[in-house]
Amino acid sequence: MNGTWVVFRREVGQYFASPIAYLIAAALLLVTGLYFNADLTFSVGTKPAEPALIPLLLSFAMVFCAPLLTMRLLAEERREGTLELLLTAPVSDGAIVLGKFLSAWFYYTILLALTFIYQIILVSITQPDMGHTMAAYIGIWLYGGATLAVGILFSAITENQIVAAFLSIALLFILWMGELIGQIITNLELAEVVRQLTLIGHFTSSFAVGLIRAEDIAYYAGITALMLFIAIRVVESNRWR
Amino acid sequence: MNKQIIIRQTQVGQWFGYAGGAGLMAALVGFIAQSGLTEFVGIALTIGLIGLFFWAALAPADFRAFVSGRQMRYSTGAVFGTLLLLGVVALTYVILQRAVITLDMTEGQRFSLSTETRAVLNRVVYPMRITGFYSPRLLSQREIDDQFFRLYEVETDGLITREYIDPEQQPALAQRYSVTFDGEIFLSYVNADGSTDFSTTTRVPISESQERDMTGAIARQLISGTLTVYFERSHGERDPLDSTQEGMSGINGGIQESGLITQPFDLQQVASVGGDLPTDASAFILARPLTDFSDSEIAVIDRYLKRGGALFIMSDVLFNADAFLRQDGKFNQFLWNNYGLRALDAAIVDPVSSQDTPLDIVSAAVYTDSAIAARLDSGDTPTLFRLARAVEISSNPPANTPNGRIVLSSPQSYGETNLKQLGETNTYAFDPEDIQGPLTSVAWAYNQKTGAKILLVGDSDFATNGQVLTGGNSILFTDGVAWLTGYGDQINYAPQAYRTGLPLMFVTGQTLDAIAFVTVILMPGLVLLTGFIVWTRRIRA
Amino acid sequence: MIDVQNLSKTYGTFAAVDRLSFKAEAGEVVGLLGPNGAGKTTTMRMLTGFMPPSAGSARIAGYDILNDSLEVRRRVGYLPERVPVYPDMTVQGYIQFWANLRGVRDARRQTERVLESVHLLERRKTLIRNLSKGMRQRLGLAQALVHDPPVVILDEPTIGIDPQQVIEVRQSVRALGEKHTVLFSTHILSEAEQVCDRVIIINHGRILAQGTPATLRQQLQPGDHLYVQISGASSAAGQRLLAEIEGVQQVQPQGIGFHVRAAVRANLRGDIAQRVVQAGYQLEELRPVAMTLEDIFLDLLGREEGA
Repeated sequence: MNGTWVVFRREVGQYFASPIAYLIAAALLLVTGLYFNADLTFSVGTKPAEPALIPLLLSFAMVFCAPLLTMRLLAEERREGTLELLLTAPVSDGAIVLGKFLSAWFYYTILLALTFIYQIILVSITQPDMGHTMAAYIGIWLYGGATLAVGILFSAITENQIVAAFLSIALLFILWMGELIGQIITNLELAEVVRQLTLIGHFTSSFAVGLIRAEDIAYYAGITALMLFIAIRVVESNRWR
Repeated sequence: MNKQIIIRQTQVGQWFGYAGGAGLMAALVGFIAQSGLTEFVGIALTIGLIGLFFWAALAPADFRAFVSGRQMRYSTGAVFGTLLLLGVVALTYVILQRAVITLDMTEGQRFSLSTETRAVLNRVVYPMRITGFYSPRLLSQREIDDQFFRLYEVETDGLITREYIDPEQQPALAQRYSVTFDGEIFLSYVNADGSTDFSTTTRVPISESQERDMTGAIARQLISGTLTVYFERSHGERDPLDSTQEGMSGINGGIQESGLITQPFDLQQVASVGGDLPTDASAFILARPLTDFSDSEIAVIDRYLKRGGALFIMSDVLFNADAFLRQDGKFNQFLWNNYGLRALDAAIVDPVSSQDTPLDIVSAAVYTDSAIAARLDSGDTPTLFRLARAVEISSNPPANTPNGRIVLSSPQSYGETNLKQLGETNTYAFDPEDIQGPLTSVAWAYNQKTGAKILLVGDSDFATNGQVLTGGNSILFTDGVAWLTGYGDQINYAPQAYRTGLPLMFVTGQTLDAIAFVTVILMPGLVLLTGFIVWTRRIRA
Repeated sequence: MIDVQNLSKTYGTFAAVDRLSFKAEAGEVVGLLGPNGAGKTTTMRMLTGFMPPSAGSARIAGYDILNDSLEVRRRVGYLPERVPVYPDMTVQGYIQFWANLRGVRDARRQTERVLESVHLLERRKTLIRNLSKGMRQRLGLAQALVHDPPVVILDEPTIGIDPQQVIEVRQSVRALGEKHTVLFSTHILSEAEQVCDRVIIINHGRILAQGTPATLRQQLQPGDHLYVQISGASSAAGQRLLAEIEGVQQVQPQGIGFHVRAAVRANLRGDIAQRVVQAGYQLEELRPVAMTLEDIFLDLLGREEGA
């Protein structure tokens, strides 16, 4: 546990010490800000504010953001040789991977918290559906955790950051495609099953409409756990390969 | 990998482990392939769990090593561990999915049923089926809808079931339901053999208020066939089967679609043999008879009203001598004496609140205090009467018989009483004989003792195929019928979900600019600035 | 402290480390000496738990490197060949991170202590990316020592740094021997000779020889090495003359004289003097040559290659 905490602290420090993290945050705020304003202008006088606006945008944005946030976590350690030191330190491989994952998730949580400004603005000018929004935020938080775990896995597999990012973007994109799966697969039952396997399938029709379902939480927690487990095994494989 | 030293018990345990893993995998594959907890899945799952149990019991160290991944020499350990975790995750997921544990976070409780809906569902005794037609493109929508429809199934303990059909895969079935668009919902009773009773299939409207749509449809289904509306046919009335502009096939179809039965009725013939309106008559519609009623006919109507009948009278301005409901006629007198309500021999001329000519009367004011007019907002849905007849209510009605106006013309209007001139030359002018506006064109009366209801409308065009879709005309008709038959009492309910809808946003342009500045420039700018400060401090370090 | 038994690492059919066995006692500085690719790094990686051996076992401070990997890792300080650093951390942050990760109590004080000892204390707020190569090397050393481990494993700590810093690092390593067991790899003989209590020479994953620098020199000196300087004879004539002497195996010109290698036998020098004088030349100088470890090493390698 101590190891997880130490690795977590170092990685968080790393995030906030690097200008890249601020650039990503600023870019995200800019995009969500534009999106928010567009929706606001469109909604005024015609409809209530869309409660799941930002989470829905993020559900797509994370396909690209999560790999960017996680690609360096293990790939860089491997490339720079620091992984050798980490693995010979008296901490479990699980603690290393978990600490890194949690740091990425923490950074992501901060980003999410920043976008909450839009909700504050909405509260001050109208009466938004806060419960709905909270459900969507909880959903996108879990969703983000799962995408970050996917990113970590690919970062563990390769020592090339670009390859790691590319592979995880590819996988996340496929998992995101669930929303469009019906246009590819004409068999309704099959499409339904495929959709249940995708990340997005557990977001748009539950969290995004203000409904929290235990199965969706289990899905995201399960995907996250599975990805982390595999990532730990991959890191660990250094010891027995 | 030298394994000769391993004792037999461990080996047996490992075999159990492999069997367990295979069982879990089979269960997973089975679940996906058969999309459900079938027998096969259950058996495979049991084998899997038993295998895992014996593995753990016979070779605890081995099991522990696999689970924690410590047995690093064997990569299979990692793979197996992953599969095991996958099995556990899938199992948890499936169990939770079956358990349907949800938390509705929406302010309007969109995914919860209101007490009003529960009350309606309590009345469901025969199985019904919600049939949704969704193509694979609407998977997401289908899931959202399904989560709502599922509540109905749960609430009625499975009396109401759901089925989803891909209209592209089963076009014949889609045609049977006459599906017109993707995502359309139908509600039907289910036969004893489980098949759909197509004679009861009705379309569920789709609007912003999903609960009102669905519960309303169920309520209509519940009372369908219990209410019959009779159309008078013996005095030259408008034809409810006529599908031309002048006909009334539209409202007839609408009534039937709402689950009511419509029947023709020959008043003249029944009156001649001293008969009565059938006992199941929920309402009797007089869609502009051309000639006035005889004493015996009035007697039939009187008897009907006295046992709680409901009368929908549409009366136009007519120019013949024996015109229906002429001011001094017997039927008009009957209405006035017994129900404080009558028609005037006057055509409303409204220079202010009218459309093409001053004779095309647009409702200037609506009394929305009655059930009939609750949805008739003169601003958004004005009624349009082409040549309207003025009616009058008594300010001193008979005992226990309250009455009221619904639609009024403007104060600048007047009632042209010289109908002869109007009919022959189509000219009109205000003169002292005319009646000063505002004039009533729709009025109602209700006998609290007998339950008799009368709705008198000084126009009939409004309900014809050509006019019924104009403004609030259809609302006046349907809500009128609903009030008369008592239909409204049974299906009208206010779902709490939409009692408090979210308010619209009203923001000034200035505020919008300020928000845009804060969110698009200030916030990202501040973050960038922080990053810049951190960066420069780092550079100097 | 370190007890290696038949440690092997094979990649397919290639044996990177082949049944290596050696011991290191507490407080000993042991040098692993060998050319590049001899298996030094692989051995160290196995000992630190970074990679598993294909066969054999090793114990560090009484703990098996496979079964008690965590206990082993607690007791080892490791500096890999290429000093792994996080360029965006400060010197202090970096050391403190490793201190925390290894569960050092009072990590801050320990960090300062160890930075003081490698003369980096005044640079503690500096970003690692701004450190010179030598400073990074010392930083790596500090990292390996911050938890005060009983065993320190250093993989080529002097590679790629300038001579002045090489001397500093060697002194540091030497000093470590007072408190720690040090396993230290190098491909520079003189370094091993200077720093180590004991040297293990390996090539192709096998031990060629081991012992203190002095005993190695003694043991491995295969015969007499003499320096002979003759005046009055041409170089070729002198060489021929010396080569004819009984027992002489090899004569090589060295400077203005000759380096003579010969089998050990009685009265060799007497015979040489006698023959030179008999041939009418003058014997200017005749002295034994003390072989450096380097010579022995090259000799050993040469013999192995030939075999």
